[in-house]
Amino acid sequence: MKLQFKLALYNTLTKVAIIFFTGGVILISLEKISYHHISLRLETKKNEFLKSLSSKRISQILAQNESFTDYNILKDDYIMLKQVKYESITTVIDTFSTAQRTIDKSIDMYRILTCKFNYNKRTYLLEVGNTIDAVEELKNTIKGFTLVILIFALSLTLLSDLIFTKYLLKPFYNIIEHKLIRVNDPLNFDYQKVETSTQDFNLLDDSINSLMKKITDMFILEKQFIANVSHELLTPISIMSSRLENLLLHETLSEEAENKIFASLKTLIRLKSIINSLLLISQVENNQFNKNDIVKIPEIITEINEELEDRLEDKDITLTNDIKYEQAIIGNRSLMHTLLFNLINNAVKYNYKGGSIIINDEVVNGIYVLEIKDTGVGMDNAQIEKAFTRFEKLDTDERESYGLGLAIVKSIAAFHKIDIDVVSEKNKGTLIKLKFNERR
Amino acid sequence: MNVLIVEDEKSLALEVDEYLSHEGFTVEHARTRKSAEEKIFVNNYDFILLDLGLPDGDGFELLKMFKQLKDRDDAVIILTARAAVDDRVRGLEEGADDYLPKPFSLNELLARMHAITRRKHKLESNEITVKGFKINIQNRTVSFGIERINLTRKEFEILNYLVLNKNRVISRTNLTEHVWGDVLEINSDSNFVDVHVKNLRKKLSQHAPTDWFETVRSIGYRINI
Repeated sequence: MKLQFKLALYNTLTKVAIIFFTGGVILISLEKISYHHISLRLETKKNEFLKSLSSKRISQILAQNESFTDYNILKDDYIMLKQVKYESITTVIDTFSTAQRTIDKSIDMYRILTCKFNYNKRTYLLEVGNTIDAVEELKNTIKGFTLVILIFALSLTLLSDLIFTKYLLKPFYNIIEHKLIRVNDPLNFDYQKVETSTQDFNLLDDSINSLMKKITDMFILEKQFIANVSHELLTPISIMSSRLENLLLHETLSEEAENKIFASLKTLIRLKSIINSLLLISQVENNQFNKNDIVKIPEIITEINEELEDRLEDKDITLTNDIKYEQAIIGNRSLMHTLLFNLINNAVKYNYKGGSIIINDEVVNGIYVLEIKDTGVGMDNAQIEKAFTRFEKLDTDERESYGLGLAIVKSIAAFHKIDIDVVSEKNKGTLIKLKFNERR
Repeated sequence: MNVLIVEDEKSLALEVDEYLSHEGFTVEHARTRKSAEEKIFVNNYDFILLDLGLPDGDGFELLKMFKQLKDRDDAVIILTARAAVDDRVRGLEEGADDYLPKPFSLNELLARMHAITRRKHKLESNEITVKGFKINIQNRTVSFGIERINLTRKEFEILNYLVLNKNRVISRTNLTEHVWGDVLEINSDSNFVDVHVKNLRKKLSQHAPTDWFETVRSIGYRINI
């Protein structure tokens, strides 16, 4: 979730909580206060009633009906008197309750004071009630009001929060978008400062800029280094190999010396191959190749098949080309050739005599996938992990290897945005899947 | 035939000189762009071996200047250690006849020079005869008497390269580099070339003995003529 929305969400939630809490407090205290007032009034009424009490009045009341209910026309309050079984009462105890009463066929909620008293050796039960409908109504009004205020305040604050945080975080998102997401080549980095009055963002911006500056410097240095290394190392190798070749022209050379010279030449070629492989990886990683060729995958596979024909024959390996799609990608043809060559060559190199290689393709979710499956020596998980690291070699006594073939594959694949999946089982074989993420 | 070596690395120039002189070429040197320019203006050469990184300028500029001269047929081979990716393409586009990245084998250089000579002058016969085997470089065919011998492309390349470098031991690595080109990592198992040589010998020996096609133990091959 974006920071902006997180902030807005947090503000909204805290506001909801505050409004609910204060609303609740107001409702509860309102109830308490009004009940208190009503109780006071009921007590006064009871006292008045008890003061004006006479035998005559009681008998009159009781004679009138078995129970007596007196109420005003608005049914706001009522008094009820009942004679109950005698008990001796020394002090009059008031109990308060809230209950429903039906008075003159209308049901209402009442706050009720109940007390028993003795008069002329008789016990009477007195009930004085006062309606709390008004209080309930007030409560409902406040509830509704709170709800409306709540919704209104919420939407208002949400809106203002979003607008404010958007304004506040704009420089931050600018930094993220222009300086982090869109940067794929440090050489084209935009050092323009992002306008902001927020100190923290200024700091962030400055830090990213200075980091990028360092990376760019390193990049340029590496490019120069590559150019220099190639010249500075390859020229002496060239001199040495020429010198050795000239030495071989001397007819007086003993056979032993000749052998040593040839061995030295072989070593020089090996040195050259390593330098060239490393240079290739660096050049690919530094984007020094263009990517404008239309590369037809089946065509390259056929080419490689022809190139490797004799090797396949030599090891009696059957290569089955099951390619169904005429897939073409935009890329660098010679690099793609090197990538596929190295993979298929490995499938031959690390295969058993009489083994097989199957090249297959499919389209999964719109992504072209090329599969190279061999019945070779395979790798365990630890080996798979290390396979694409420079100078990492499979334990094999088969042939000399520099351990750079798969490192080259890795860098070329990354250059073309191809994912490589390796599934392998020791002594069973290896399945390599190339997922072409950029579809043409 | 005369050759101009434009190379600022003195020791390399001297080695190339020694090799080519041994092959019968007349060799001249230029170590800077300026002196190369002067020499090119004054003399016609059969070959100009051009290094791209010169102390006082770029080899490409020299090539451009040379291409503006009229009635010149000098073959230009670029020899460079520069790592730039498109140098090869650019060199050939600018009119160079060939491009050899350093470090190169002198045998390979000689083979390329021979190829250019045949292409340019058409003086030399396109057919070389080795012990009764006729090698036609134009059509890339080999025949014995009137019988055609069917060779694969690689077998032909091997035979041709060995014949060009006749009487000289050619190592397996050298041969592999020539036949398979710059394919990376392939050098690591150069013994592979043996399979091809074995097949090639088998095909040739059906017609005549091939004792002139010598295997030099643990090194490579030599054709003795």
